[in-house]
Amino acid sequence: MITDVLMFWFLALVVLGSGLAVILFTNPVYSALSLVMAMVGVAAVFVTLGAYFIAGVQLIVYAGAVMVLFVMVLMLFDLKRETHSFAAGKISGALKLISVGLFAGLVVGGIVMSQGYFVKENEKSLGAASATQSVNTVAGSQTNLNVVNTDNTKVLGTVLFSKHVFGFEALGVLLTVIAVGTVALARSKGGTHAKH
Amino acid sequence: MGNDAFEITINLIKLVAVFLLIVQAVPILVWVERRGSAFIQNRFGPNRVGPLGLLQLLADAVKFLTKEDFAPDKAIKPLFYAAPVFALIPAALAFAAIPLSVPLEIGGYVFRIQGYEMNVGIVFILGVSGLAAYTILMAGWGSGSKFSLLGALRASAQVISYELALGLSIVGVIMMYGTFNLTEMITAQQGAMKFHAFGYEITSRFLPNWGIFYQPLAAILFFAASFAESNRLPFDLAEGEAEIVAGFHTEYGGFKMLMFFIGEYGHMILGSSLMIVFFFGGYGLPGITVDEVRSWAAGVTDGAAGASVLTTLIHFLSFTVKLVLFLWIFIWVRWTLPRFRYDQLMDLGWRTMLPWALGNTILTALVIYFTSVLI
Repeated sequence: MITDVLMFWFLALVVLGSGLAVILFTNPVYSALSLVMAMVGVAAVFVTLGAYFIAGVQLIVYAGAVMVLFVMVLMLFDLKRETHSFAAGKISGALKLISVGLFAGLVVGGIVMSQGYFVKENEKSLGAASATQSVNTVAGSQTNLNVVNTDNTKVLGTVLFSKHVFGFEALGVLLTVIAVGTVALARSKGGTHAKH
Repeated sequence: MGNDAFEITINLIKLVAVFLLIVQAVPILVWVERRGSAFIQNRFGPNRVGPLGLLQLLADAVKFLTKEDFAPDKAIKPLFYAAPVFALIPAALAFAAIPLSVPLEIGGYVFRIQGYEMNVGIVFILGVSGLAAYTILMAGWGSGSKFSLLGALRASAQVISYELALGLSIVGVIMMYGTFNLTEMITAQQGAMKFHAFGYEITSRFLPNWGIFYQPLAAILFFAASFAESNRLPFDLAEGEAEIVAGFHTEYGGFKMLMFFIGEYGHMILGSSLMIVFFFGGYGLPGITVDEVRSWAAGVTDGAAGASVLTTLIHFLSFTVKLVLFLWIFIWVRWTLPRFRYDQLMDLGWRTMLPWALGNTILTALVIYFTSVLI
């Protein structure tokens, strides 16, 4: 149990720290790399929750594919002016301070809410009941884990392709539209071979 | 992790041992690579230091360790120093999820011969090994040199492109076995060939029940894509000495460069192991099930522990022999084929391997649906 708690706090620190680093670094490449770190951390949190498939997909899709393209494109740019304008100036400084404040508020709020300080009395007893219930189920799945690894991939697949099949397919169409639209926009002005 | 202190300790040691397995394999592979390339090209190769030139590795290691540790002036130091360290992580993490032998059962304990058991083995391995692109980008950009950056961009574009073909080529395999779990896949490939189709049971006494007989196209695509993933010839556009000096590790020397080497060989070992697990029966002996080996071992040794140790050793040996064969194929191909041109590389990845992999997926799905093939 103590290892679970330690794991959680360590991963939470990594994810929040790298999330903060995304907005605090002045160099966009460092920001993108910090975002990768945050995504890997989130994948690790999924693993501690027993959602192995989601963790793997998070790694493949976000950390492995999307962010690599981001980092690659950022590395190709000459970012001196952007870095300078991002690092200096009162407005961007104020924006940064505001976002750090919002972020800190979110963290403090999350911790406080999870302790149940702002919950009314009747809700508190409800929450306590559901908490014990969830603890029980967690303990149950833990004992399961030692026997066979719980497999929620099949359940996920069944739900995705039966109950939510329309939403799933619609998202696929949406992504295709985005891809085609991006190419169309990029080519509408002649693409890479345009004469200026 | 384990139920008591002993089991936890063993499991932790196992993690380190798996990493050392990769690191220790590298000098031997380097020797095989140099001697093998020499024989292929009708040369001698390193044959002066020690018997058969084996001690050349030791000399190389000493040379790498004692070289001056420097960074270029324009390098971005944190990334420049972090990149080689990160280069070791993806391959080692992914390799730790591969079962190397049947579990060892001694005195009530069950030790798996793998770093950790993952129920979604393939998804995890693909996810972790996909992170290798970052180490290349970090090295290339952090070196602050044009050649490095160009090499890094080439390499990462290649890795991303072939990851698609790699992932799609094994979808058919996953559908056939109906699982993500590598151990279950190996269990399904045990014994002589035997499957159900059209309601009949079809058996063959001469062929093992290996994945390559069910998914030959997937095997070819996967093997080709794993060459590209490990950045080896004919896909080593990342290095292209004649064009961009040495690609993303142009500015690296000494032990830092050796760490990139270990990463590359790690990917080679990972690709070979996955090839064995998906298509060549994993640790299983061809045509013989684990139970048959176990009952034979029980007859030869006295005591359950001895039989278990013998069974595990036999299967580990079987896996190692297969691994060595595949690593040799990796080296053989490297010194036989010339390098692709970059447009040929992209053409092969996107317009040849990707459609074939997609076609294989659809074909497998149709065959499974209409003939109700079961393995």
